[in-house]
Amino acid sequence: MTLIELITTGYAVPCSVLSDWIAKTADRFNTAFIEQNRYIQYFKGLGVTLEVALFAGIIGIVIGTIMALFKLSTTEDGKPTIWNYIASIYIDVIRGTPSVLQLMIMYFVIMASVDNQILVASLSFGINSGAYVAEIVRGGILAVDKGQMEAGRSLGLSKAATMWHIILPQATKNVIPPLGNEFITLIKETAIVGYVALSDLTRIANQIASKTYDAFMPLIGAAVIYFVIIKILTILLGNLERRMRRSDNR
Amino acid sequence: MKKKLFAAALATIMTVSLVTGCGKSTDTSSQTSEDTNQTASADKLVVGTNAEFPPFEYLGDDGEPDGFDIALIKAIGEKIGMEVEIQNMEFASLVTSIGSKIDVAIAGMTVTDERKETVDFSDPYYEAVQCIIVPEGTVFASADDLKGLKIGVQLGTTGEFIAEDIEGAEVSTYNKAVDAVNDLNNGRVDCVIIDANPASVFEAQFPDKVDVLQGTAYGFEVENYAIALPKGDTELANKINAALKELKEDGTYNKLVAQYIEN
Repeated sequence: MTLIELITTGYAVPCSVLSDWIAKTADRFNTAFIEQNRYIQYFKGLGVTLEVALFAGIIGIVIGTIMALFKLSTTEDGKPTIWNYIASIYIDVIRGTPSVLQLMIMYFVIMASVDNQILVASLSFGINSGAYVAEIVRGGILAVDKGQMEAGRSLGLSKAATMWHIILPQATKNVIPPLGNEFITLIKETAIVGYVALSDLTRIANQIASKTYDAFMPLIGAAVIYFVIIKILTILLGNLERRMRRSDNR
Repeated sequence: MKKKLFAAALATIMTVSLVTGCGKSTDTSSQTSEDTNQTASADKLVVGTNAEFPPFEYLGDDGEPDGFDIALIKAIGEKIGMEVEIQNMEFASLVTSIGSKIDVAIAGMTVTDERKETVDFSDPYYEAVQCIIVPEGTVFASADDLKGLKIGVQLGTTGEFIAEDIEGAEVSTYNKAVDAVNDLNNGRVDCVIIDANPASVFEAQFPDKVDVLQGTAYGFEVENYAIALPKGDTELANKINAALKELKEDGTYNKLVAQYIEN
């Protein structure tokens, strides 16, 4: 066999194998995403995922901030208050149980008669996220120099006013990075809402896999969509963080 | 300079891969016939199932998978002279495992055209029709009454596919059938579409809460359960189909139906 022959036949064979593989993969892609306009379902699922994550994030920040303040509250002589215990119990219980169980208990037991699945899921994830946010906010507040509170108090501001006007604005800058991290975790955690019959992105991928018996494309596709969304979010958070650090350079 | 070196290295790799690619391809023609025989020629038939679909497959008291499908595939194994080894796994993993971790899968799998693109199916071994579970006393006059309802189904079941085709229906997909029925009792869904056998189990469990309606009255098509086989393995398919036919003829099949399904 001459070299020319070798190269031409050698080229032809892998080429047909390759084109076979490409055709097959394209076919699988077609089944998983294009046929019956399935890509619309993925986007609907993504919508549910983001809706739940967004509402849960807002609920989580509100609950978390309140709980952080509860946890930091002390009486005049520095002893823990009743609020302190409430916050500690809440954080312990939520962090000590799996979120999928919390979701199912919320859906099948506590709110068994509530028809709005998105509301139930958002509330469940929000309460869950609140426990983690509480610790983040508490850390952020503690990271603000003690002298700031003392300065505010010595200028005649009340404890609450100092907290609101002086401490919290500075704490905000501290909590943005871990809070962003928590929100990213939250988006991925919503992948379990399929347990309560909500059709989020993960559940849609599962449904399509069980219909076509081909799990590869739907699962990889869903993973890519999650990745892209979170990558975009990471970039936005990075920009926000940089903006907030601008005042640090004096 | 570095770029040139890199280009040269890349060119070498590409040429080598072309040549070796060619080398292999000349051999493959003689090899392929042996390759396809490999799974079938072993004396062991590794069968995947998902033991969560009574009475077709479930975990027995000893923790081993049992049920109609399991008994049937063991009988088939005897006929074709292969030892059957059962592997219990997630339903979703079954099909991707065919041809690698398992040889065939039997798990009350419904034959559909879309699934046929990924796997081959044996001849059907069971006919089933979907049922509708409704709150006690509810009656649907015709298929039109189902339009626009909230319908609960189990993920990956035929009920899900039927419900999606109903006009205006709002479909909730549950992991487990019992979750769907719980939500029916909670009033979150109007009805549940599910296989006949689990439906009768739920009717027995909640006798004064739910009724079961036969799907045939609403134009649901009869579905066929079959064994999923590796795509293109006609030899194994022929063997299994022949064994299945024999079992039906010699009465073993009817005996198993009586033992597992009708009892």
